[in-house]
Amino acid sequence: MLRLENVTKIYPTSARPALDGVSMDVEAGEFVFLIGPSGSGKSTLLRLLLREEVPSGGSVYVANWNVARLPNRKVPKLRQRMGCVFQDFRLLPNRSVADNVAFALEVTGKSEHTIRTVVPEMLELVNLTGKADRMPAELSGGEAQRVAIARALANRPLVLLADEPTGNLDPETSDDIMLLLDRINRAGTTIVMATHDRQIVDAMRRRVVELHLGRLARDDARGVYGARR
Amino acid sequence: MNGVGFVWREAVAGLRRNVTMSVAMMLTTAISLGMLGAGLLAVRTIDRTQDLYYSQLAVQVALDEPTSAGDPDCSSPTCAALRGQLQSDPLVAGVTYESRDAAYQRFLRIYAGQSILQLVRPQSLPATLRVTLRDPTRGDAIVQEFSNRPGVRNVVDQRRLVEDLFTFLGSVRNAAFGLASVQALAALLLISNTIQVSAFTRRTEVGIMRLVGATRWYTQVPFLIEAVITGVVGAVLATGGLVLGKLFFIDRLLSGRLISNAIPAVGMSDVLLFVAPLLIVIGAVIAAATGYVTLRLYVRS
Repeated sequence: MLRLENVTKIYPTSARPALDGVSMDVEAGEFVFLIGPSGSGKSTLLRLLLREEVPSGGSVYVANWNVARLPNRKVPKLRQRMGCVFQDFRLLPNRSVADNVAFALEVTGKSEHTIRTVVPEMLELVNLTGKADRMPAELSGGEAQRVAIARALANRPLVLLADEPTGNLDPETSDDIMLLLDRINRAGTTIVMATHDRQIVDAMRRRVVELHLGRLARDDARGVYGARR
Repeated sequence: MNGVGFVWREAVAGLRRNVTMSVAMMLTTAISLGMLGAGLLAVRTIDRTQDLYYSQLAVQVALDEPTSAGDPDCSSPTCAALRGQLQSDPLVAGVTYESRDAAYQRFLRIYAGQSILQLVRPQSLPATLRVTLRDPTRGDAIVQEFSNRPGVRNVVDQRRLVEDLFTFLGSVRNAAFGLASVQALAALLLISNTIQVSAFTRRTEVGIMRLVGATRWYTQVPFLIEAVITGVVGAVLATGGLVLGKLFFIDRLLSGRLISNAIPAVGMSDVLLFVAPLLIVIGAVIAAATGYVTLRLYVRS
């Protein structure tokens, strides 16, 4: 599903490469934690998968796409098959919960009919059916992140990329979000989640990939957060 | 195409979010296009005026006193010889003879009832050969060639006489185009700036669009539509301004006694059917081009 081959990324403003010869494979249906201290290259890796950046060396594959070589006009197609959630939710404050989810469908050219059927389906999946007409400002952090997840899944992505999705949430809310992500993963969606949250990683017992200063430091099939340090 | 509705709504929302800037942008565009329109009308008027005059203008070969006297039909040897030479000149389209008596009759007609009539006798007027040219700009050649021939008093190229008028109309045109281009620069910068502000205001929205895989149609076309709406509204305002300008300024100016027959009137159809469509197309195309370049230069796709 995802494959990195000897990927290097050098930002022109930085002396040290953000990623340095990283290779990894993620099979369809896997759940992967991407851990490591700030500046270890987690976000860069996610940005390469999304073609927000192109690698300085090596290749990145998502499904059958050679991401770095993808012509610009095909990048939207790639991104439609990749869902994304972030620490700061990134909801549109002037749109209701339902409209935020509908937005992802609307701007990718889906029909009115599709939007009317998919939006309630997604809200049900994340348990927010009763809050379709709320505005983002009226939501708790956990609810906001669930809206973001519903939006990320609306286009039925192959992969869900989550960059510190629990970074702004208290532990109990974080657990709810992890239960939700686990359920989504078990339904077949591949998930790559960058995190600093030791508790969550230790509790889930899933594959752990650790980056350190841009290099692959560890890749355990059923790992914990702090095995070596 | 359910994307059309989305793009249109976003564009209108963009214009409304930033109403003061939108209005400034439209007015500047309107003034620029209005100036351009005025220039185009001036060009059109110049062309018409030239057509009007050049069809009537001629080189007048005035004959001297002995040749003019008592010759109603150019039968004297001097006059006949001059006429023959003129007619065989390749520049000449036609030659007509106006005798001293005919000139006096015309003079009486033109100045009927005015005191100047009492000062003029038929003897004061020369007989003339009116020469029309194949190319009205080549009058100089005839003036040079025939000025010193026997029997010729002087040769006058009438085109010279109206040149001042064209110089005046030409400077109206140049001033209008000059102002139009300065205003156009201001309009372009305003449109470009507004698009940047608009894109900045909507950076969250556009960021999310890019993330979920929206094509450039959704991320960029709303900004272009915003610019094009500005251009078209500007053109419509400019046309309105030109119509008012025509009704309350040009019409009055040209109906003045001095120049009412000298310059043909500017017709409403010139404004609405000739200039207005041009302004709308130019406004839309230039605004779209500015928008496109701005998005390319300043906004990540």
